Amino acid sequence: MKNHLYFKVLLSLLTLTILAALVVTLDIGLKTASAIILLFFMLKFLGVAFYFMELKTAHVFWKSAVLIFVSIFFGIILIVV
Amino acid sequence: MDLVKTDSKNIYYPPGGILLWIIIFLELFTFGMALAAMVVYSKDEPEVFHSSRLLLNTAFGLTNTIFLLASGFFMAKSVESFKANNHIKSSFYLKLTMLGGFLFLLLKSFEYYEKIEAGLSIGYNTFFSFYWMLTLFHVIHVLVGLVILISVYASLQKKKSNLALEDFEASAAFWHMCDLIWLLLFPLIYLIF
Repeated sequence: MKNHLYFKVLLSLLTLTILAALVVTLDIGLKTASAIILLFFMLKFLGVAFYFMELKTAHVFWKSAVLIFVSIFFGIILIVV
Repeated sequence: MDLVKTDSKNIYYPPGGILLWIIIFLELFTFGMALAAMVVYSKDEPEVFHSSRLLLNTAFGLTNTIFLLASGFFMAKSVESFKANNHIKSSFYLKLTMLGGFLFLLLKSFEYYEKIEAGLSIGYNTFFSFYWMLTLFHVIHVLVGLVILISVYASLQKKKSNLALEDFEASAAFWHMCDLIWLLLFPLIYLIF
């Protein structure tokens, strides 16, 4: 079960990476492109943390801490960009 | 097969251990603040940042992301095999994990060589000051991570390995931290400006 789960997570992460690189080539404006790229990378960050680092099995405190960090970081970047 | 388990639901024992997670958060905040500063500086010199970003090879950054993600996948598989007491499989996945790390360093070295040859050193402009400081600092983390993984691998090779799951998980968490830091660096340095 876990075997397939890890592989599915890896495939999703690779797909999001390639999609993010493709977004740069689109003519949709800096703000929109940045928002899409940051959203993809937020999902990737959480994918690595929750599945590969097995944070999904951890205490809610650690899950919340990672979610709060990611939200604040990408929020700040998005506001400034 | 016997399964080795740790109580990761306990607030004091996240997977990898509380001390390592404190380090992970400190590292993420350090890189996060530096990246936020980079974005703030880019507002003063948007043209410089845009033209400098175009001088980077996005394909290299993309390939390195793939190397680190694949490496993280093998690390997770290695921990899973270790928990199932399958040390042979765990060693095999650990070797693939390290291969990903070495490939990352190889490509990064080539990228650095190209930049130095083109005269794009740390003092070239503000963008490249951030580029060199942040990526070199990350490379140091990858090097330290590889040293840790090599020592874990050496322990696994012993006939009577006394490697504890907690230590193995801590090493894995450090390696994944390198992934996480790169996931912050790649979009901001290679894609956004």
